Amino acid sequence: MIKQSFFHYFAKLTCLRLLSILITIGLISPIILGLAGTVLPAFDYLPALSHYTFSLKPWHNLFQSPEVYGSLKLTLISGLLATFLSFIIAFSTIAVFYESRWLISIRHTLAPILAIPHAAIAIGLVFVLSPSGWLVRLFSPWLTQYERPPIWVSVQDPYALSLVLALIVKETPYLLFVILASLDQIKTCELIKVGTSMGYSRLSVWRKVIFPLLYPLIRLPLLVILAFSLTVVDLSLVIGPNTPSTFAVTLFHWYNDTNLDKRFTASAGAVLLMLIILVSALFWESCYQVITRFDRYRWSNGKRHTLFAPLLKGAAFSYIICVVLALLSLFVLPIWAFTQRWRFPDVLPSSWSFKKIEQLSPLLFDLACVSLVIAFISTLLALAISILMLEQKRLKPANTKWFDRFIYLPMILPQVGFLFGIQVFLIWSNNSGSLLAVIGLHLLYVLPYVYLTLSGPYLAYNQDFYVQAICLNKHPTASFFKIKLAMLKPALFSAFALGIAVSFAQYLPTLTAGEGRINTLTTEAVALAASGERKKVGNMAMLQALFPLVIFMLAQWLPRVWTNYRLNFQSIFR
Amino acid sequence: MLKHTFLAASILSSLTLQSLHAQSWEDTLEEAKGQTVYWNAWGGSDNINDYIDWIKMNVKDQYQVNLKHVKLADTADAVSRVLAEKAAGNNNKGSIDLIWINGENFRTLKQNNLLYGPFSHDLPNYAYIDESSKTSLTLDFGTKVEGMESPWGAAQVIFMYDTDMIEQPPKTMHQLLAYAKNNPGRITYPEPPQFLGTTFLKQALIETTHYPNALSKPVTQVDFDQVTRPLWSFLDELHPNAWRAGSSFPSNSEQMIRLLDDQEIDLALSFDVSAASVQIDQGNLSDTVRSYVFERGTIGNTHFVAIPYNSASTAGAQVVANFLLSPKAQIKKQNPTTWGDLSVLSYQNLNPQDQAKFNALPRGIATLTLEELGTSLPEPHVSWVEALENEWRKRYSR
Repeated sequence: MIKQSFFHYFAKLTCLRLLSILITIGLISPIILGLAGTVLPAFDYLPALSHYTFSLKPWHNLFQSPEVYGSLKLTLISGLLATFLSFIIAFSTIAVFYESRWLISIRHTLAPILAIPHAAIAIGLVFVLSPSGWLVRLFSPWLTQYERPPIWVSVQDPYALSLVLALIVKETPYLLFVILASLDQIKTCELIKVGTSMGYSRLSVWRKVIFPLLYPLIRLPLLVILAFSLTVVDLSLVIGPNTPSTFAVTLFHWYNDTNLDKRFTASAGAVLLMLIILVSALFWESCYQVITRFDRYRWSNGKRHTLFAPLLKGAAFSYIICVVLALLSLFVLPIWAFTQRWRFPDVLPSSWSFKKIEQLSPLLFDLACVSLVIAFISTLLALAISILMLEQKRLKPANTKWFDRFIYLPMILPQVGFLFGIQVFLIWSNNSGSLLAVIGLHLLYVLPYVYLTLSGPYLAYNQDFYVQAICLNKHPTASFFKIKLAMLKPALFSAFALGIAVSFAQYLPTLTAGEGRINTLTTEAVALAASGERKKVGNMAMLQALFPLVIFMLAQWLPRVWTNYRLNFQSIFR
Repeated sequence: MLKHTFLAASILSSLTLQSLHAQSWEDTLEEAKGQTVYWNAWGGSDNINDYIDWIKMNVKDQYQVNLKHVKLADTADAVSRVLAEKAAGNNNKGSIDLIWINGENFRTLKQNNLLYGPFSHDLPNYAYIDESSKTSLTLDFGTKVEGMESPWGAAQVIFMYDTDMIEQPPKTMHQLLAYAKNNPGRITYPEPPQFLGTTFLKQALIETTHYPNALSKPVTQVDFDQVTRPLWSFLDELHPNAWRAGSSFPSNSEQMIRLLDDQEIDLALSFDVSAASVQIDQGNLSDTVRSYVFERGTIGNTHFVAIPYNSASTAGAQVVANFLLSPKAQIKKQNPTTWGDLSVLSYQNLNPQDQAKFNALPRGIATLTLEELGTSLPEPHVSWVEALENEWRKRYSR
């Protein structure tokens, strides 16, 4: 009897193994097609435009373009600086506030900022920071004497500092989220107890003990943030410099140029951007290696206090500034949504109205439905695939070798180049414009985030619970759901909420696969953002943020209500 | 005898052609019934979207054509899509049936043989158009139209300012420069290659160059450096005194209007003659804002609709294009509370009732009359666009 049930179990395992291979192929093929569609035109080959011979002309044109060096410089500065500062701020914030009630407040700020689409936060920030923005309005004219906005360059500055700020505001919460999730795996509380009982200050425990343990766990998220910062389009369109713009935005303009020859230059640029990501990642990692090499002896030099303490405190304080800015940006969106008239230097609108939201409501309902369907299906699929692959990986890491190699590519590859290659494939296979295609492309971008968020907690799960359960009830499948997944609920819910937020924020994938026939809140919001009208943008962005926000809140609340015991990890939002 | 035969034959053939033509429009109407037409049109403006909804309702009621508005952030997206479809060998089931288009996008599609047609001359309502009234009806930024796109509306550059803040707005480029020097940080223009930004460059070029005749020729046939030298020295002087010291530029007209309302800048530009009135109405501008044009006139052009070569609903698309040209649709469009876009129809070709309706159209408080708009300056040859954009990027975007 037992033998038979185990036989079934193993048959199932083989089936799952096959399925995981199919999934791997399903993941790799669009990536290869997308890559081919970027790399081949970079070498002047695109039969669609009757370019049949390979040449280096696109590269020549690329390096001849006047803005290339300027944009590359801006991209490198903003990408590396934003990643570095986000990391420092996130780590310091947790080190300084861990186990204090402040951390609880900080955790409350994570969900909203994570859920808000980049473009919306950037628009909010521009409105808060620009010379005619809310900050200046709050202090004018009674303090500043400004009857008119001052002549400042506080957003879209030529050094991309405002872009760096926007990236930090957006990325630090994600890093906090990841770090908090990882801390559960390294027994942080015990480490701190042992460390402090030996006379080490808390901050030196963080620097000397926790940091070396933590870094390997968050290396990949950091590299993803680096790639994102180097390639982001929507954020830099709104708040980045524009003469020249960052390299990704320059490429985006070239891809949209009516002169079709620009496409080849853009493809060459997309390949270059991939190389830049690679080189930056290597640079980042080698910096870490060099620093730890020199720093290693200090970890065990026995000094109970760290000179870094003021730095850590300062960085933690700057997170509070980030949160204040983000909150101001978030509050300003609904204010605009209900504004009729609001001129400088009024602190609040002089007249309000519900006209806009009334006008938009039927449209908003349709868009919300489509957005939710796409987000739910793609995220549920991503979750199922992630669990399956992680289970395979747990059994034998080699099982998911190829999957692991390719999974992060969609996050790392610049969307502007990569999606054009996929678009050609979608049209060729007659799938373009279908809901299926949109969900497929969303899955491609949701999956890495879900997989990444889930893999740490999932692989760190103490399998003994599960083994014990099978020994007791002899039902491997039921135990898998009732014991293992149930215990992993907080991690699963967090990954789900993040997946929904990622899906909601997707603009280019929806547009490319949906042919403009399938509209989501995001495609519509970005189309409207081009109109520069803050009332409409405020309405759209507010709703676009609302759904992921509600789901984030539910993800925080549900696991606790469902089962308050048996949870392997605490909810990371609390 | 021979002569008579020829005459008879030619009369006969013209008759058959006529009946054939009449027949074929009937056929088109018949074929269009029940077709779905995906119209890719810029979707960034509420009032235009509402007008398109009205068109949608009308073609459904009158011709049983299902019109779907695909809202674009940028018309170039539609161009890329047609291109991608050709690449994928999708030659008869394209996703786009009608595009709102002009200028470079049109040239790209036409040069690559990606358009259906010629069709516009066969539309019954094309009879209302007098091609001689405006060069831009037959020459779209210097590209010959040749029936490959059907006119929809006319646009002209206008400037907007707040009468509360300025008494005498600058009316030439030289006055503009002087104004910027006296009021640093308050003058700007959209960043080329955004079309309005490029248009500003063209306007400045027309006003500053010593060789105005060269602009109608392809750029390769003239000495570009010599013709444009005054333009660059003008911009070199303007930029240090411009908004954000010329380190960044607004991305479009809507952003300029927002900046004007925020009082960050003193002048806004638009290609939409009713922009000021519409924005005042929506509470986005103060009601003291007025529009005006430069002394020597401002650049004007025509916008069109075209049908991609791989559309599966060419009949439906033509029926829509024809309806867009009807006096009913054009009158509604020119109404400033609807959109305020100028009609392309020739006033003389209309019947008295329609003429009366055009006369009765209200104007917004900040909209100029046709007389006040004056004669529009013609667009330079299309090759100037890229040349100016490239040179601009080389000089100011590095």
